Amino acid sequence: MSDNKIVTPTRRAVLAGTAAALPLLGRSARAADPISIGWVGPLSPPGGYAEGTNMKNAAEIAAAEINAQGGILGRQVEITYADTRGMPAEGRTSAERLIQQNKAVAVFGEFHSPVALAEMEVYHKYGIPFMACDVWSDQITAKGYPEVFRNAPALSLIDVTIGQWIVAAGFKNIAIIAEKNDVGLAARTLVAQELTKANVKFTAVDADPNLTDFTAQILRFKSTSPPYDFFLQLYSEAGAYPMIRQAHDLGFAPTANCGIYNSGGEAVDPTFWENVGEAGKYLVTENVGLPKAGWNDKTKAFVAAYQKKHNADPSGAVMESYDGAWLLFDAIKRAGGTESKGIIHALETTSYVGARGKYTFSTSKEPAWHYHQFLEAPLSILQYHEVKQGQADAPIVWPKQFATVPYVYKRPGT
Amino acid sequence: MTDYLLIQAFNGLVIGIIYAVIAAGLTVIFSILKIVNFAHGEVYMMGGYFAYFAIALAGVPPLPAVLVAMALSFALSVLVERTLLTPLYSPTTERKGDYGILVTFGISIFLRALALIIYGPYPLRPPSFWPGVAVVGGLVMAWDRVFAGGAGIAMLIGLVWFMNRTSWGEALNAVSQSRESAAIVGINDQRFYMLAFGLGGALAGGAGALVGPIYSLSPSMGLLPDTQAFAIVILGGMGSVAGSILAGLMIGVLESMFVALFPDPSRSLTYAQAFSLLVLMLVLLIRPTGLFGRAHVAME
Repeated sequence: MSDNKIVTPTRRAVLAGTAAALPLLGRSARAADPISIGWVGPLSPPGGYAEGTNMKNAAEIAAAEINAQGGILGRQVEITYADTRGMPAEGRTSAERLIQQNKAVAVFGEFHSPVALAEMEVYHKYGIPFMACDVWSDQITAKGYPEVFRNAPALSLIDVTIGQWIVAAGFKNIAIIAEKNDVGLAARTLVAQELTKANVKFTAVDADPNLTDFTAQILRFKSTSPPYDFFLQLYSEAGAYPMIRQAHDLGFAPTANCGIYNSGGEAVDPTFWENVGEAGKYLVTENVGLPKAGWNDKTKAFVAAYQKKHNADPSGAVMESYDGAWLLFDAIKRAGGTESKGIIHALETTSYVGARGKYTFSTSKEPAWHYHQFLEAPLSILQYHEVKQGQADAPIVWPKQFATVPYVYKRPGT
Repeated sequence: MTDYLLIQAFNGLVIGIIYAVIAAGLTVIFSILKIVNFAHGEVYMMGGYFAYFAIALAGVPPLPAVLVAMALSFALSVLVERTLLTPLYSPTTERKGDYGILVTFGISIFLRALALIIYGPYPLRPPSFWPGVAVVGGLVMAWDRVFAGGAGIAMLIGLVWFMNRTSWGEALNAVSQSRESAAIVGINDQRFYMLAFGLGGALAGGAGALVGPIYSLSPSMGLLPDTQAFAIVILGGMGSVAGSILAGLMIGVLESMFVALFPDPSRSLTYAQAFSLLVLMLVLLIRPTGLFGRAHVAME
C-alpha cells in the first residue's frame, strides 16, 4: 500500500485557512487601492469658474504624471474634483463629501477665500490636511489650524507690494474700485495703509462682484478735480474685463495722465486679450508664478505640458494648483503613508522644488498669517506694452530684484 | 458740469433701454402666462452666445447676428414652453404659480450648466457692431453703446407696434385679459401662450446679443439682469409692457444719476442698486400695483 495518499482537507480546515488568510488578502487589497485626494474649486457659476477650470486642468496633469511614474508608495493616485460654485455653503458640503464619501486623505485647491475659510472648519474637524492654492485672505493661515497650508501669497504680501509699487512709481491721486467681498475689502484696506503711509491721496469705491457696468463711476472719476493719475482695480470677477474696456473707451485710463492696474488674476488669463483688445496695452498686473527668467526645469516642463494640452499659457494660479498636488504627493511619500498627522508633519518639513520655486512652510505664528505659509511665494508686477503680449514676455517692473526693465512704470506714449 | 450730467444721463438712458428690452420680454410672458419666468436671464445669455457663434462659425455680420440670436431665442423659448409649461394650461394642475416658479427655476439652472458645458467657462467677446468711440463736445461714448441703445429702441418700438397694431398683438392682449373670453371669440389660447413665451425669449436674446461686445459673454451673465428685470417689472406694474419700458428707462437713468451725484463718491456705486430698490419701494407705497399695473395676475 502506498503512502502516497491524497489528503482531502476537511471543511473545517478550509474555513480556518480562509479565515486566517483574509486579513492578508485585505491588506494586499488595501495596498493596491488608489490614494484618494480631493480637489476643491469653482467649476460653475456664480464662482470664478474660468480660473477654477484652469486649476482643475493643472491638477489633472499632476495626477497623470504621478500615476505614470508608478504612483506613491506603489499606489495610484485618484483625485476627486468637487465643484464649490464659489459658495461657502457648497464648499463645506464638498469638503464633507470628499472626506466622508471619497475618503480623501488630503485636499487641495480653492480660488475663493470665503469658501476656503468655510471648508477649513471641516478639514480642521476631521484633521485632514488642506493645501490652499489660490486664496489670499490672511485669515486662512492666521487661524492657526495645523491642517491648513498655503502655497499662494497672502494678501499681506500681495497688496502691500502693490501699494509699495504705486508709491515707487510716483502716483499721487488714486481711484480704486474693489470687489465687495472679504478679499476685495481686505485688499483695499492693505493698499490704503501703504498709500496713507506715503501720503498718497486715494478714493476707494466698493462694487458688487456681479456688476459689469462701471461707466457711471468711471465718468465720475474722470470728472473729478484734481484729476486721478492712477486707476486701481481690485476686482477679479466677470466685471474685470468690461471695467478695463470701459475705462479705456471713456478715455480715463490708460492714458499719458492716468495709469491702470488690475489685481486678481484676470489680466493673466488666456482670454484676457480677446476680451480687452487695445485696452490692455500699458495695463499693470501681478503674477504669482515665477518670472520667466527664474523658471526652473519643472516650470518649463509644466508650461510645455499645459500649452500642449490646453493651447494656453498657465497663469500663476494654475501653477499653484499643479504644485499644490505635487506638494501633497511629496508629503505622502515622505510620511510613508496616508495617516493625517504624518502628512501634516511632512508638509511642515517640506523642502520641495516645484514649478513656482523651492517650497518651505513657516511654522512661526508671528505674525499670525505666517503660520504654514509659503513665505517666499513668487510675486512680481508686470506691465504689458504690446497688445496680445504673453504674461511671460511682459516686462517685470517690480520688485526691483526681478525687474527686467530699468523703469518702474512706462507711461503710454513715452 | 452740464456736460458731465448730460453724459451720465445719456449713459443711464442706454443702460435703461437694455433693461427695458429685457423687462418688456419678461412682462409679455407674465401678462399672458401669469408666471414669473426665472429662466429669462439665461435666455438673455443664450442670445448673446447665439449671436457670437453666428458671427464666429457662420460668418454672419454683427447686425444680422442679432436677428439670428432673436430667432434662435424665440425657437428655444417655444421649445421650452411646449415641452415643459403646457401643464400650466391644464385645469387639473393645481398651484400653477408654484409649478411655473419651480419649472422655470430648473430651466435656468439647466441652461446655465448647459452653456458652461457647450461654450466653456471663459468669457467670450463678439466683434463690435461699430468699433471706436463717439465724441461730441464733452460727450464720450463707445459706438457699441450708441448702437445698442438705438437697436434697443427699435426693438421696443417694434414690440409696441406688434402689441397694438397687429391682430396677433390684439389677440395676445385679449388672452392676457381673459383666456376664456378670448376662447369664446375664437382665439386659440394655446397658440398665443407659445407666441408670448417665444416673443419674450426673443427680446431677451436680442438684448443679450446687443450687450455681448459691451460686457463680454459668460454663462453667468444672466444672473444680475434677472433680478434687475424682476424689480423693473414690479415697478412698471406686473403685466404692463408700457410700464416695464418706462420703469426700465427710469431705473437706468436714476442709477446713473445717483452714482453721478451722491455726495460721498466712495459710496455712490455701492448704494446705486439699493437706491433703485428704494425707488421701487416708494412707488409701491403710493401705487401698490406699480406704475401701470393691473390687479388680476393669477392664471384662470
